[in-house]
Amino acid sequence: MSFLDSLAAGLSLVGNIEAFLALFIGVVIGVIGGAIPGMSATMAVALTLPFTFAMQPITGILLLLGVYKGGIFGGSIPAILIKTPGTPASSATILDGYPLAERGEAGRALGMALWASCTADVISNLALILFAGWLASFALSFGPPEFFTLILFSLTIIAGVSGDSLLRGALSALLGLLLATIGLDLVYGTNRFTFGDPNMMGGLNFIAVLIGLFAIPEILAMVWHPTAHVGKTRSLGKNWVSFADYRRSFKSIVRGSFIGVFLGSIPGIGAAPSAFLSYSEARRTSKNRENFGKGEIEGVAASEAGNNGVAGATLIPLLALGVPGDVITAIIIGAFMIHGLQPGPMMFILNVDIIYGLFIGLIVSSLFLFMVGSVAIRGFKYVADLPRRILIPAVLVLCIYGVFAVNNNIFDVGVMFAMGWVGFVMMRYRVPPAPFLIAFILGPLLEDNFRQAMLMSGSDPTILIRGPITWFFWAMTVVTIVAIVRAGVGAFRRGPGRGRAPEA
Amino acid sequence: MTERQVQLRLGVGAIAMALFLAAIAIPNWVSSPSNVGNIVLSPLFWPYVLAGFAGLTGLGLVIAGLREAAQDPAPETDDHAHGPAWRRLAGMAVFMLLTMYALPRLGMVLTTMLLFAATAFLVRTRHPVTAVICALLVPLVLYGFFAHVAGVAIPQGEVIRLP
Repeated sequence: MSFLDSLAAGLSLVGNIEAFLALFIGVVIGVIGGAIPGMSATMAVALTLPFTFAMQPITGILLLLGVYKGGIFGGSIPAILIKTPGTPASSATILDGYPLAERGEAGRALGMALWASCTADVISNLALILFAGWLASFALSFGPPEFFTLILFSLTIIAGVSGDSLLRGALSALLGLLLATIGLDLVYGTNRFTFGDPNMMGGLNFIAVLIGLFAIPEILAMVWHPTAHVGKTRSLGKNWVSFADYRRSFKSIVRGSFIGVFLGSIPGIGAAPSAFLSYSEARRTSKNRENFGKGEIEGVAASEAGNNGVAGATLIPLLALGVPGDVITAIIIGAFMIHGLQPGPMMFILNVDIIYGLFIGLIVSSLFLFMVGSVAIRGFKYVADLPRRILIPAVLVLCIYGVFAVNNNIFDVGVMFAMGWVGFVMMRYRVPPAPFLIAFILGPLLEDNFRQAMLMSGSDPTILIRGPITWFFWAMTVVTIVAIVRAGVGAFRRGPGRGRAPEA
Repeated sequence: MTERQVQLRLGVGAIAMALFLAAIAIPNWVSSPSNVGNIVLSPLFWPYVLAGFAGLTGLGLVIAGLREAAQDPAPETDDHAHGPAWRRLAGMAVFMLLTMYALPRLGMVLTTMLLFAATAFLVRTRHPVTAVICALLVPLVLYGFFAHVAGVAIPQGEVIRLP
């Protein structure tokens, strides 16, 4: 199928009002969800997921992608206005966004955040379109040993960069891998930790685990400390972003976008490190570097470009390899599976219309983001005024309906509650939940591919180093482990409490 | 909680979990056919590997915790972590248990209405009337969507039956 044929197939799939409406609504939900402190883009995507069950696959996935895109931008609104990042990725935006808001230039900062976000979003989407197909065609030659080494490499990165402590990230990933072993053994069909309960034989429901890990702990945190969310909202002020501001920051925006694309395409790194790296590069190269941290508009542009540049690029490993790039794409992979689709290289052959439909939707999403974002900036006051002590019980009820709807099973609601308490304990002990969830998804794939490789080779482990692709991933895994261990040893030598990686 | 306490508690917990898995959970709750030719293909292999890594990670956390200075200041103030906070948390646990008990008996709509109201009052809402109105409306709207749009068979219970 030629490129134009694929494009036409994609257009025929999404060229209807329903698909674009879903995308638009998704962006609106995402911006609102991201703008509510404590809600986060991740929770917004997780809570929207159950509503996609009744939709066509492409419509449902576009809805979720809209929430994702909107959520990443939405997080910058409270970061600038109330110094509380709506998503971890917006933490860097606070550095210059809030000082601008204090000077009465919040509208200017938010305008620049929107322009930088949309520019980075377009660049990231183009990177996805250019590279995903190429990577998928390369990945078609992957067999179980190659996939095993790829997933192992992904897990190493995820555990290493997803928190302020490598060991806590590793523990979180191990817990996720352990939880993924529950159910019938994939080769022999024997029971593993099922306790004879038929509900456990298929393994724990992914949606129940993810909503339990990401939504319920927020509810429990609210119960624990009901007034933690109270903050003071700054006014927008009279100054708005100008084209001169945009032109002055353009270099930092493009650089930040490429940093986001590069880091986003590596599974597990996520938007926060990208935003901080983009910010520090902008500060290093800017003529106004002494103004950074005191309310420099270029700082806002660089941070936002860094975190939005990730949004399209995280879909590269998802679509091309079937490996989620971050937590939100891990949730989106669940949506694919619920609709009977398996992301990965074969999808570029079997469901090319869906792939190109998504590409078209993603390009349009940047436009929708600009439209919705412009309104959201002015409407944030109303979102900020939503009483969170009413919102949180509503989220709890929505979680119950959403989790039940997956399998029509009350047992799943119990799993969600149980995972919620696990997530709350992890939150209290500052164990990052992202490695847990990603490992929970990748665990069965890792084990499956390992055992398939062993079956193929008659248990000869040399099959795991059978060719250049496996050598490459082993080398990358070793390099990552060495880098992480060196960083850990360095921090150990410098003394406790120093040298920690920034929070993802 | 200080960084040292966090690391030590997590480390001890991870080691305890690894020992529990290796000594009790895996031998008793993971079954394997007797004719498995190679250990790496056994259903037991992967859980044992993970238990081993969990133990090693726990050991690492304990060492890192011991390395932390005992007088480390708490990285976050926990002023609100007093009796009422624990009571609210225990109350939420009870609500969740009651929800699991009530879902098949009262139905999802009625149960979630009660849960909504109870949670709103547990977190001391400043808008009690709005909370009660939302407690009635939100579950009904969600029922309408999931039962009539998504085609999900929402449990009706024995008290009221909705169309």
